[in-house]
Amino acid sequence: MCAWKYKRIMPKIAIAKLKLMEPKEIIDLAGMSLHHISSILEKTPYEAEISKIGTKELSANSLEDALLQNFIKTCEELMELSPKHIRLLLSTFLMKFEANCVKAILRAKQADLDVDEAMKYIMPVGRLGEARCRKTLEISEKVADVVESLSDMEYGSVLEKAFAVYEEEEIFYLLEIALDRHVYSKIWRAIGKLGGLDKKIARTVIGLEIDSANVKTILRCKAMEIRNYQIRRYLIPVSEVFGEKELEEVIRESDIQSFINSLVRLARNAMVRDYQYIFTEIQKQNVTSLTTLEKVLDRGLIETSLRMIKRYTPFFNIGLLLAFLNLKWFEVRNLRAIMRGSESGIPPNKIKEMLVLPR
Amino acid sequence: MSLELASIHPTRLELLRLRRRKSMAEGIVDILKRDLDALTLNLFELVKKIPPLRDKMYKTLREAYELFIEAEMISGSRKIEGVSLVAQPIDFKISEDKKKGVLGILFPILQLSEGNRVSGPRFNLLDTSANLDKSASKIKASFYDIVKLAEIEESVRILLEVMAIKKRQMNRIQFKILPQLNTAIRYIELILEETERQDAVRVRVLQRKRKERALKHA
Repeated sequence: MCAWKYKRIMPKIAIAKLKLMEPKEIIDLAGMSLHHISSILEKTPYEAEISKIGTKELSANSLEDALLQNFIKTCEELMELSPKHIRLLLSTFLMKFEANCVKAILRAKQADLDVDEAMKYIMPVGRLGEARCRKTLEISEKVADVVESLSDMEYGSVLEKAFAVYEEEEIFYLLEIALDRHVYSKIWRAIGKLGGLDKKIARTVIGLEIDSANVKTILRCKAMEIRNYQIRRYLIPVSEVFGEKELEEVIRESDIQSFINSLVRLARNAMVRDYQYIFTEIQKQNVTSLTTLEKVLDRGLIETSLRMIKRYTPFFNIGLLLAFLNLKWFEVRNLRAIMRGSESGIPPNKIKEMLVLPR
Repeated sequence: MSLELASIHPTRLELLRLRRRKSMAEGIVDILKRDLDALTLNLFELVKKIPPLRDKMYKTLREAYELFIEAEMISGSRKIEGVSLVAQPIDFKISEDKKKGVLGILFPILQLSEGNRVSGPRFNLLDTSANLDKSASKIKASFYDIVKLAEIEESVRILLEVMAIKKRQMNRIQFKILPQLNTAIRYIELILEETERQDAVRVRVLQRKRKERALKHA
């Protein structure tokens, strides 16, 4: 482990982490008006993005855009300061947002929206800046044209492969799944290039994120009574704890409880403590609601990130960076939930229940 | 059926005919009253079903809307809106059938069915939360209540139409035909009484003349 390579990024993250909002500060925002929330957020790191929003344009959507832009900007700044392998991981991490941008373009074309209308749903990021997104929308008439116009990027070839299945089955989200699968596989490969402790921490934290997504997908498919062979198509089996074989095994479970029991058993067999903590908690709480389960899994992800800092030193490894990114992401998500809830007149208590905060 | 007094033959035969018509009209009014009672009873039964069904529908829609907002809170409004643009549509079909109800009236039976049963999820599961699935399934469930409600409301409409016709028929008999018949009967009775009185006077005059003639001869 070479501590020197972290010399630029660690102080930056440490300061950025200190600037994160305290859970109490976030909770207190629930129930406030959007004007009030935006004036409070103007005193936080979101200031630059929020101050660009005019008074008339102030809405949950415009604030959400500001928060996401800030998150992406933060990731890009950290990427600049990161050592080589971490930079690669962060660049693949940012591909999640690029993939979201591609998905939004595809959706807009599928729904036959005009360019200006389509741009409302698109958050330009990275290589897909506003000009590129507009150009892609303008020159494409159909989804197939979008795939072709993205052929200079890796998304083009990914979509091309999935396009035949999409054409045959006429299921649009198969294209989206192909993009998600590509991005997560790439993130997983980038983790593989990390060394020593960084690799171990990243595999636990990001692996948990991917596995949580798979667990959520399986449970939702089970609730919708989707057949097992179909469920496999919606999964991203890249992780080592809940890999393809393991997921294949747990899919067969008929009810939610036996499914969780199987996950606990798998986590125990794989000797992954952090997985065991989360799934044992779910098992103990006897969670049957999918919404609660999603919340427990999301909270588990934050707590695992924080546990990584405690378990290993907070400095000179990727733990602090991943913990910060997760904390920042959930801060954005919580703020978005508060703003959307306030705009729709949801009672503060209900909003508070929706927040994902570490204990 | 209007009765012009001038066109009525003031005969006993006509009087009997009119009395027969009157009793028949009164019989019809009785039948119509009984029909109306049966229809009213049926209407109340149908109307009674509406509030709980409407409450259930509102409750389901409210829950669906709340879950939708929660899904937006978790995944973001723009994303949910974007996902909904390309969500696999469900092709609902409504088949209409008829069933015989009270007094043989044909009531509609509306049957909602999914034309194309979507076998997988309708949108990308990775981009959305479970609340969106719940919201979508609740909205789908509320469609069945809406169609059931439409079926009942259409039955109520048909029932009210039939009741209005029956009521009109009853009013026409009660307030037009029966008074006309009563007037005609009274008119014939008066004419016949008058004729009887004239005959009685004529008989008395003839008897008086016969007596006078007898006294003269004597």
